[in-house]
Amino acid sequence: MSTPFLSVRDLRVHFSTEDGVVKAVDGLSFDLEKGKTLGIVGESGSGKSVTNMAILGLHDRRNTALDGEILLDGKELITATERELEELRGNTMSMIFQDALASLSPYHTIGAQIGETYRKHTGASKKEARERAVEMLRRVGIPQPDIRVDDYPHQFSGGMRQRAMIAMALVCDPELLIADEPTTALDVTVQAQIMDLLKDLQQEFGTAIIFITHDLGVIADIADDVLVMYGGRCVERGTKKEVLRTPQHPYTLGLLSSMPSLDGPVDVPLSPIPGSPPSLLNPPSGCRFHPRCAFAEKVAGGLCSTERPTLEIVDGRGSACHLTPEQKREIFDGFTAARTH
Amino acid sequence: MPPRLLTPYGIRQENPTAMFRFLVRRTLGAAVIMLIISALVFVLFYAAPRDPARIACGKVCTPETLALVRKNLGIADPLPVQYWEWLKGLFVGREYTSFGHCPAPCLGYSFQNREPVLSTILDRFPTTISLAIGSSVVFLIFGIGTGMLAAVKQGKTLDKVASSASLIASSMQIYVVGIFATYLLVDQLHLLDRANYTPFTEDPAKWAAGLLVPWLVLSLIFTANYTRMTRSQMVETLSEDYVRTARAKGLSRRTVFFRFAWRGAMGPIVTIFGLDLGTLLGGAIITESTFSLQGLGLLSVKAVSTNDLPMLLGVVLVAAAAIVVFNIIVDSVYALIDPRVRLA
Amino acid sequence: MSLSRRNFVIATTVAAAGSTLLSACSSGNAGGGNGTPNAGATEYTGAKVTVGSKADSTGPAPEIPGAKKGGTIYGIAPDDFSHLDPQRIYFAYNSTVALLLHRSLTGYKIDSSGKQKLVGDLATDTGTASNGNKTWTFTLKDGLKWEDGSELTVDDVRHGFERAWAPFITEGATYAQAALTGKGGKWRDAYPGPYGGKHLDSIVTDKAKKTITFNLAEPKPDFNFTVAMHSYAAVPVKLDTKEKYDKQPVACGPYKIKAHTTDKSMVLVRNKYWDPATDSIRNAYPDGFEFDFGVETLAGTDRLIADQGNDQYAVSIYKGVPAERIQKVLTDPQLKKRSFNGLLTGSYYYWINTKRVTDLKVRQALIHAWPLQQIRQIYGGPSAGDFATSILSPDIIGYEKYDLYGKLTKPQGDPDKAKALLKEAGKEGMKIVYAFPQDPTYLKTKVVIENALKAAGFTPIIKPVDSTSYYDQIQQINNSFDVMWGGWSPDWPTAFTMIQPLFDGGAIGNGQNNVSQTNISWINDAIKKNAVISDQQEAGKAWAALDKRIMQEVAPIIPETFQRRFYLFGSKVGGAQFDPNFSATLLYKTFVKA
Repeated sequence: MSTPFLSVRDLRVHFSTEDGVVKAVDGLSFDLEKGKTLGIVGESGSGKSVTNMAILGLHDRRNTALDGEILLDGKELITATERELEELRGNTMSMIFQDALASLSPYHTIGAQIGETYRKHTGASKKEARERAVEMLRRVGIPQPDIRVDDYPHQFSGGMRQRAMIAMALVCDPELLIADEPTTALDVTVQAQIMDLLKDLQQEFGTAIIFITHDLGVIADIADDVLVMYGGRCVERGTKKEVLRTPQHPYTLGLLSSMPSLDGPVDVPLSPIPGSPPSLLNPPSGCRFHPRCAFAEKVAGGLCSTERPTLEIVDGRGSACHLTPEQKREIFDGFTAARTH
Repeated sequence: MPPRLLTPYGIRQENPTAMFRFLVRRTLGAAVIMLIISALVFVLFYAAPRDPARIACGKVCTPETLALVRKNLGIADPLPVQYWEWLKGLFVGREYTSFGHCPAPCLGYSFQNREPVLSTILDRFPTTISLAIGSSVVFLIFGIGTGMLAAVKQGKTLDKVASSASLIASSMQIYVVGIFATYLLVDQLHLLDRANYTPFTEDPAKWAAGLLVPWLVLSLIFTANYTRMTRSQMVETLSEDYVRTARAKGLSRRTVFFRFAWRGAMGPIVTIFGLDLGTLLGGAIITESTFSLQGLGLLSVKAVSTNDLPMLLGVVLVAAAAIVVFNIIVDSVYALIDPRVRLA
Repeated sequence: MSLSRRNFVIATTVAAAGSTLLSACSSGNAGGGNGTPNAGATEYTGAKVTVGSKADSTGPAPEIPGAKKGGTIYGIAPDDFSHLDPQRIYFAYNSTVALLLHRSLTGYKIDSSGKQKLVGDLATDTGTASNGNKTWTFTLKDGLKWEDGSELTVDDVRHGFERAWAPFITEGATYAQAALTGKGGKWRDAYPGPYGGKHLDSIVTDKAKKTITFNLAEPKPDFNFTVAMHSYAAVPVKLDTKEKYDKQPVACGPYKIKAHTTDKSMVLVRNKYWDPATDSIRNAYPDGFEFDFGVETLAGTDRLIADQGNDQYAVSIYKGVPAERIQKVLTDPQLKKRSFNGLLTGSYYYWINTKRVTDLKVRQALIHAWPLQQIRQIYGGPSAGDFATSILSPDIIGYEKYDLYGKLTKPQGDPDKAKALLKEAGKEGMKIVYAFPQDPTYLKTKVVIENALKAAGFTPIIKPVDSTSYYDQIQQINNSFDVMWGGWSPDWPTAFTMIQPLFDGGAIGNGQNNVSQTNISWINDAIKKNAVISDQQEAGKAWAALDKRIMQEVAPIIPETFQRRFYLFGSKVGGAQFDPNFSATLLYKTFVKA
């Protein structure tokens, strides 16, 4: 494997607030190849969105400290100037936001907003930009795009807005697309359409996609690899199949248990993870999941509350947990069995 | 919002009729409001324990003379008849024994100086408009400018200075600042002209020179409000998702600030400005008396103190109309700024 | 005239500053009074009004030393004149401009010290009375012309009287109408007015002899004072535009109106047909006047203080220095040099309702208790005026100063004396309802009055009354007030104009001026008797005696103050002096300094 297209190494994003330093992301590493999709899952506040804002350089520079390495196609982004980042944003890398209604300017037409990105990065004329916008709208499946191009966001339905958002993100054929819960607010039918659209577009352009969600069902649909985040750290990594079928971290297990499995038996009870996400201001010592972990007492010497478990990645697979391989096998095999049959 | 996939034509196409309906509705509403206001003024005026006829009745005011005065002033009839006559005058004009024909829209003749009310108001209105428009230009430029600057430099020294200065300025009183400014800038330093009004059409330079001091004083107080408002609106807008989107598209901070955030912040400011402008046009009573400028404000004060019902009614009506018209304009402008707003 | 109508109008219209309730039309000179304010604040001449001779009536007016012709004097005022038609003029501030435009049969010739003489203005002298003061004859001077060059005739003078009957004239004085018809308040019924082609039977004119004769229904020894009022100024028969005359009157005085924008400005220029040889009163040095209206009192005062540009040639037409600036003017020698002052006409009283407070001892106790000094302090201290102790004011012919109740020695009030009197009357703790107009100044004075009443053993009940209808309310005969603040200003400087309307039993009624509702036969008789004494100096003595007797034996009022006003003028204005009749700047004596 040569140098990956996107390589994040030991990324740390720390916010200074009046109460102290919030370690929103605390040592995160992953790679992503072109044409592949990385799903990032985790609860709210686990650091998913912060990570991606940091990649785009859209963090608030007045109170955010960035540390580590972000290499996009070999270019270091953390030390890049604002101007360099502006060149990349919307062009080489772009983002689809969760709430399209709030994320689109209510004061400008859809066409203008799509065209603006295009003009900024290609220097196209207004007319060319408009034509490009119509073309993009057609590609994302907006009917009568030549008319709707002059509509305002509030005149679009929720699904159409999300499509328009995607059109806007793809207008410059980006090589990296970050989709931050792009389907969360949509109903299931529309959600499926959007997912199909993303997949089609990825096949066509070979785009690398980071797909952020807290919905493992969506992950199952779209991701190649999965990264599970908890409390600003990665707790488990692997291929979609590995993570979903044979989880190795109690948190992943918890996530899976809290959602119904479409292909599993219907009588398996759902068990949500007890407790609430950790405070990033005063994170728990040792393993950040230990206060909520059902298996922490199985680890000898109370290691879970004193020592941070390391994340050993072998062939893109690994988890950060103090349980011994035997214990894991015992716990997780039972789960897998229950889920599958 | 329900999906509108099947109705691809947005309301932009509906706008001409929507606009028309909006204007008709608002105009009708305004007419009703003004009818109520005028009736209220009428009733309240006569409810007060004062008799406008006494002013024109000499020292030995016999009942006969008083009756004569009432007849001369046109207030001998019962209240509803008087009101009806007044209303009729608005639409078809009115005949006066002592003044002759008063063509529609007839607001009558002043009890106090026997001048036609309409022409007096038309004579005073330019002063008030000049005062309002001129100071608006100044305080909008300075207020919004400082507010935007403070928003950009959020939390920095400049922001703190601008914010606290605006707080102090907004707590000042026009008559105090006005008298002080006149004393300092006009009497002591001889920098500016004493407040006076020269019609713009006569000499634009003198017009501006004569109004500069009141503009500055009025602006000082309003600027502060607009600074604070602009700042907070900008700060709020800058944290909107769509601003973040714009940045994610690769637009520079500056572009985002002036193309996106500015527009979002303008909506509330336009609304407040509409109200302020209505008030300013309705007659800045304190400003006009502080600077002895003969506008609508001073006219209304004198009308009240001299029991001059026709003049009072006229000024109230014109002021109300100005406020209503500016509200309609503001709503229209708001709709232009924010396409989500429907004119209804 | 009463402070009632006139002053309430002025007070409310011009209510820019401080104690604006001022008297309107004054006569006589500043003088009398005790407790001269801080050194140099005022000047007293002590002169009375006299009746001038034919020589005094012959023009031109005596030159003012150092004065020269030319230039423009600027006048500033908060309000435009409400009337220019002389028959509609009653308010003092309208008379300030009327003096420049209009002329009556008689007028007041005022010297630089403020002394004044009644002289013939249009007439050659102050008239001849005969038939027991029932017939008055005046002869017109030669060379009198209107601003269009046409001759001013006796018919024009008569027209000025007859126009009072026009239905659109309701504002003016009514003395002459009543005297000419003998019908009292019903004078309108006796004559349909001049526009039907009929003349009043009681006025006879002789064009050849230039005489006009008034045949009065009752003796009026001071009728020559009555005709000095602007309500009786001449109007040209041929140029009368009726209602419209109020906007564009025709001048026979030294100036005429060149331009007038109502409520904004007025420009007066010389009337070239005015012959100074016909006028012993007016000097008319400036080539013209330019008036600027709508200048609030405080702003106007600040302009005069600043003394910039044209304001160096400016005078305040009729507004005095407001309370906010009075100390500044008094303490800055430069400003003081640019000011003059004078006492307002008439005086301020507290009327005691004798129908409710029936016991003389109680009324006397009230006078003793009243805290004049504290009240004047609220008005602004000694510079605000002098304490009053009589009914008549110092400028009335015959005025005599007395101090029956020791108010000049104890102006702060004498609660012990009051208590003693109250005890004698057996009315200790008596309730006294005090009424006053609800206005910042009187809301302050009511406090010291309440305290003084309590100290003297009364139980005060304080009744503020809406200031715009105040006089209407206290002039109701069945009102529920015991003591009422108020003022009175006479129309000409004879005592009749003060004592008759205020204390004649015939003047009791709703809307009438006998607010104390005094109806005592010896007063009524004395008024009748004094009213027909021909010699005004003689009459003055009789009135002064009546004044003192009323205060001693009836005590129907508590005299308060003779108020003083200060006026500023620009540094290039010469000859500025107080107009004792109208409490204003005497415009026709001003000139532009070289």
